[in-house]
Amino acid sequence: MRQGQPADRSDKLPTRFARALLEVAMQKPLASARPLVNIFHTFIFFGFSFYLLVNVVDVLEAFVPNWETIWQGPLADGFNLLADLFSVFVLVGMLFFLHRRFITKPKVLEFNSNVLLHPGVAAGGVRRDSLIVGGFILLHVGSRWVGSALQLAEAGGPDPWLPTASILLPLFTEMEPGLLEQTIRATWWLALGLILLFIPYFPRSKHIHLMVAPVNLALRRETPRGALDAVQDPAQPGSTTLAGLPWPQVLDAFACIMCTRCHEVCPAHESGTPLSPSALEINKRYHINAHATEVAASGARQNMLEYAISPDAVWSCTACYACVQICPVGNEPMHDILELRRSLVFDGKMPDELGEVLRSLDEQGNSFGESNRRRSKWTRKLNIKDARKEAVDLLWFVGDFASFNQSCTATTRKVAEVLTAAGVDFGVIRKGERSAGNDVRRVGEEGLFESLAEQNIELLEKCEFDRIMTTDPHTYNALKNEYPALGGEYEVVHYSTLLVELIEGGAIQLEQPLAGNATFHDPCYLGRYNGIYDAPREVIERCGLALVEMPRNRENSFCCGAGGGQIWLNDHDDMTQRPSEMRIEEALSVGVSRFLVACPKDMTMYSDAAKTSGHEEEIVVEDIIDLVHSAMGIEGVAA
Amino acid sequence: MKIAVLLKMVPDLVEELEVDSTGKALDTEELKFKLNEFDDHALEEALLLGGEEDEVVALALEGEGNEKLLFTALAKGASRAVQLTGVQPGGSGEQATAFAAALAESSFDLILTGVQSVDDREGQLGPLLAARMGLPCVSVVTGVSVTDGGATVNKEYSGGVMAEFEVTLPAVLGIQSAQQPPRYAPVSKVRQMQQTATIESLTVGGAGGGAESEVTAMAPPEVGASAKMLDDAAALLEVLRGEGVA
Repeated sequence: MRQGQPADRSDKLPTRFARALLEVAMQKPLASARPLVNIFHTFIFFGFSFYLLVNVVDVLEAFVPNWETIWQGPLADGFNLLADLFSVFVLVGMLFFLHRRFITKPKVLEFNSNVLLHPGVAAGGVRRDSLIVGGFILLHVGSRWVGSALQLAEAGGPDPWLPTASILLPLFTEMEPGLLEQTIRATWWLALGLILLFIPYFPRSKHIHLMVAPVNLALRRETPRGALDAVQDPAQPGSTTLAGLPWPQVLDAFACIMCTRCHEVCPAHESGTPLSPSALEINKRYHINAHATEVAASGARQNMLEYAISPDAVWSCTACYACVQICPVGNEPMHDILELRRSLVFDGKMPDELGEVLRSLDEQGNSFGESNRRRSKWTRKLNIKDARKEAVDLLWFVGDFASFNQSCTATTRKVAEVLTAAGVDFGVIRKGERSAGNDVRRVGEEGLFESLAEQNIELLEKCEFDRIMTTDPHTYNALKNEYPALGGEYEVVHYSTLLVELIEGGAIQLEQPLAGNATFHDPCYLGRYNGIYDAPREVIERCGLALVEMPRNRENSFCCGAGGGQIWLNDHDDMTQRPSEMRIEEALSVGVSRFLVACPKDMTMYSDAAKTSGHEEEIVVEDIIDLVHSAMGIEGVAA
Repeated sequence: MKIAVLLKMVPDLVEELEVDSTGKALDTEELKFKLNEFDDHALEEALLLGGEEDEVVALALEGEGNEKLLFTALAKGASRAVQLTGVQPGGSGEQATAFAAALAESSFDLILTGVQSVDDREGQLGPLLAARMGLPCVSVVTGVSVTDGGATVNKEYSGGVMAEFEVTLPAVLGIQSAQQPPRYAPVSKVRQMQQTATIESLTVGGAGGGAESEVTAMAPPEVGASAKMLDDAAALLEVLRGEGVA
């Protein structure tokens, strides 16, 4: 950790720890997924937490003369009852987990065959570790539990305060006293001596998560999710080594319990590419375990691309934040990947097609390789104000996709028509707007991001406006969360939020409501990154449609596969099915024929996916503005 | 080994081109310039050829945007960057004279330039430069490998026919394409170069360019009549009858 890069997490330490402990006590970080598993984890968690006390009491019982707990009054009875019940909880929980890992073996615990694994992991290290930890817990708690039944046998009868041990009692009532005494000693040693045996292994095992996870949760990032860390050293941005990562991301490897929840929700892993965020954390940990002395002496300088994650995997990430959001111990594998990208891009190591796009973004200010003068071509015949020339209430930062992409411009025009019909005083920057750079930053081209942002900020300084509106969640995220660090502070609003405002304020009258049902896809950069879930839903329902949720919705939404610059990259050869196509099938599975989006990139991705997956006839992809436009009864103007 | 790469900016064809009021040149008022893409390939080939001990020097004539161009070349890995001053930008002949003067002062083994550019479709710069310097020249080169005292050069002919040449060094090569796509220079690295590296300046005399071709008129291509999509055979028949064919 000491070799990692600085990151300040020392503010409000007491609050941080109090909150983390409370969350852990409530088992809240687990709550996003796997409800059945969580119940059994909760069994073990409470049982094991109580066992801290049990172990202390047991030691005292052995070393303090006449210290006993059976038939010793209400306090001891209460303690016994809890110890007895929690023992069974832990045993049941642990058996569940061992059964799951070794008998039912759910597929989510496995890695795609093309994922880079540390040799120790490839050799089944995680399973072995699970077996050792599981065996330890079973023996430790099991012996203590059997031990208390033996003590009952010695004491001469069942005790209602030790209900489950009393059930075991008949097994031992026939035992002769000498043997009984020996066996009690043996179970005591198995329960407590085993801890001593396990201690040296403990820091190397995944079991250490019970210590590290609360610390990791307490010291988590508190800046907005959508704001990446600044580059530490502009002369060598990013990192390909553990030592070059911010220290909390080194700590992540120790907090990891190897549950693979992250790759279960990862669109890249799900679609068959060689990326598993889980493998990344596990590989880091195995590397540290295997090279502990070397790492401590000369630093963690080995290239992570050799042991932790393959370059192909680095370029498969969609920066959708699902892995970070789902992680119960507060790990941030995505941030490691973005640091790796910064370093790779700085050394010019990137897919060829990405270089082309970045060049175009640098030269033209857009990713389409188009003249930037054609950016406002979509406004033809719409009579939209130029925000550079006159003051407006609302400055519409249109963004690349909404301006240039052919599947988006019809939608963009509708936004303008709705705003005009609602009497909103708005304007666009007719000349000079450049890509906001959100995804440029996420592919790791920090310098280009800064250059784009500086040019946009300079341009915005010359305009007079109250608020900025955008339809593109990526643009929204950059303007709202990342421009402030470069001196651009604005009030930014997503059009979904604005539409709700206008509907509630009466400026938009939905006089021709629609009928039927529809589902909505939460864009990553609107939902997970910026917490806007309700506004688009409100718009949909106000337009008269019944909303049917897909199984993965709101913060568990499944990325369309375009984020983090993927929209510019070719699909990986190993991709089995595009995330966007899976999502279309998910929508069909809930029985809707309308797939609603609130992001220009989603419009592109899902219109394509509906075609390529052969479902074009069954489902139509629409933007929420299509509904509003239609429910307002606006007659569009042909471009 | 010492390799020189000649770079120049050309109008970006992504923008709409307009002819200026003289009717003989492009209106540069609204024009945006970018590195000639063949020069980018020449630079890439030079960087691929250049090893640890070799020197790759990027040269460009003084002009708007050329400093950034040279810093970008440094960011990509060029060892030095030189800007030639004292030259009036003109046709390929004048440019060749200026580069010849600059290159004469140091002994380069290889001089690479893009095979052509949007304002030099005949690809004259390379051959003219070679003539001025009395060096051998091969154009439309798609691959170079340096041998003892010479180089093996692949040249592409029309119809995909490839030829292999042995060239004695020093030589001038007009590069059609490098063996890898030109690398991307990260903006942070270019910015870093702008802060730390310096571009050398070399004044060359304004000697004439010799024979130059002269542009007498420039005009956008005439737009042909638009195509008409026919719905069925009957419609086709009607058109043919109308033309008196059927």
